[in-house]
Amino acid sequence: MTDDRSLWNPYTPLSPGQRRGLGFGAVLFLLLLWGAAAALALVGPNKLPAPWKVAEAFVYLAWDAENQRSLLLTATLWSVGRILAAFVLTLAVGIPIGVMMGASPKINAVLSPLIDPFRSAPVVALLPIMVMWFGIGESMKVVFLFIGAVVYLIPMVRDAMQAVPQSHWISARDLGATPWEAVRLAVLPMAMPRIADGVIVATSVMWTYITVAEYVNAREGLGQLIQNARRFSAMDQVFAGIIVIIALALITYQLMQFIKRRLYPWETQQ
Amino acid sequence: MSVSLELKDIVQEYPRPDGKGVTRVCDKISLKFDQPGINMLLGPSGCGKSTILRMMGGVRPIGVRTPTTGTVLIDGKACDGAHDDAAMVFQRYANRPDLTVWDNVYFPFRMKLWKKKVSKAEAEKRVKEVLAAVGLPDKDDLLPAQLSGGQNQRVALARALVLRPRILLMDEPFSALDAQIRQEMQQLLVKLHEMQPCLVVFVTHDVTEALTLGDRVITLSTQPARVADDFQITEPRPRSGIWARSTEAVKMEERILNLLHAASPGMGQVRVTV
Repeated sequence: MTDDRSLWNPYTPLSPGQRRGLGFGAVLFLLLLWGAAAALALVGPNKLPAPWKVAEAFVYLAWDAENQRSLLLTATLWSVGRILAAFVLTLAVGIPIGVMMGASPKINAVLSPLIDPFRSAPVVALLPIMVMWFGIGESMKVVFLFIGAVVYLIPMVRDAMQAVPQSHWISARDLGATPWEAVRLAVLPMAMPRIADGVIVATSVMWTYITVAEYVNAREGLGQLIQNARRFSAMDQVFAGIIVIIALALITYQLMQFIKRRLYPWETQQ
Repeated sequence: MSVSLELKDIVQEYPRPDGKGVTRVCDKISLKFDQPGINMLLGPSGCGKSTILRMMGGVRPIGVRTPTTGTVLIDGKACDGAHDDAAMVFQRYANRPDLTVWDNVYFPFRMKLWKKKVSKAEAEKRVKEVLAAVGLPDKDDLLPAQLSGGQNQRVALARALVLRPRILLMDEPFSALDAQIRQEMQQLLVKLHEMQPCLVVFVTHDVTEALTLGDRVITLSTQPARVADDFQITEPRPRSGIWARSTEAVKMEERILNLLHAASPGMGQVRVTV
């Protein structure tokens, strides 16, 4: 007898309630484990601060009553600003190049050996070069985020273009489209949902690189906040900072997924 | 609207996947179409029918010279690239899922070529007429996902007919549809062809479909494709079930099936719907 509700069945449908419950439970379990480890002093507080200490640090960072300021808000605004600047740059450069590579095997043959290797190259190792070229100011941070993200975006845009069934191209050509019209009117619109996936991944990549970008000479930003806290061995603040970055990255991801579903509702109906 | 379409000694070869030599898909095919009728190109799957049809449409596969040797002539003039005398309808209807039915049919008028030839007002008038003709007059605002397969194929057909082509090339357009829908679409094609007579070349592997629709039935052998048989059907359309069971029709069917079996023993498949 087969049991449709067995644990090992990739096709078992879960209700949204079940899914959320299980996910929430997992997070809660981790928090409890963490709390227990801290309460029983299994790990030293300078290695793993207690969750309530992190919460306290979070409150302090969110609103420092003594100095009438919110360190967290300022830092977040700076980091978001840098990511936004890099985001605009990444899209403006990455999408046209990816589209051209996807539309033309010749352009792809020329550019892919120059771009693809960077996907697996340690972009972080380029940081010293960035500093040499762009100094230690804002432009270096934005360019670093841009390079880190665009090397992911371009190949994903190209793959999105190449994944569109050829029938759309043939059909448009037959109806009298010039090659560029066939790309613009038939292939590109079909590739848009997957291009949007690429944009979402590239943005996630930027969130992971933000701390590195803000490693060098940052006076503000979440990465700087974490680094500063580490220098003073304020582990609770380090944890609070990391959790904030994760939360922001998650919110960005969910928001972009939402926008994507609104823009391309037909994708799942195909 | 008279038009003549001629294939002269068409040979098509494709490089083998292993890179050693070439496979000959079409071998010295010569055909001439000069009546605005429905011409059926019948042959087993994979015999090269679509290759020939694409040659007529001027749509070329990437990286291969088509045809290898021989010429396609339209009104006596050689044509070896894209041209706007013919519109094609494919089995995969290639409708844009993000555009409404109306916008999908209007689609070709967004291209430079047609913008120059057809005014916006005229284009809109044509879209309206053709949507009524294919039986989708009240489906303007729907998206392809809200339509059935048959309705989607009607959209693709409308998008080809809206250009008023002199030649309509159909590449197994109904073979992915349910039997009942397929029959409806065949009846629709007959009706549309009466309204707007043009030269139709219709590729199929379905013998019944060939006998239901064709003024002329051309049977191809396979690997390489050669013209194995070529005959006219004078029975007027729409053809009744009584005619389909008549001695004349049954003999035609047997003649085609025998040829196909002889041409490709055990290879390819032919569909006969009863």
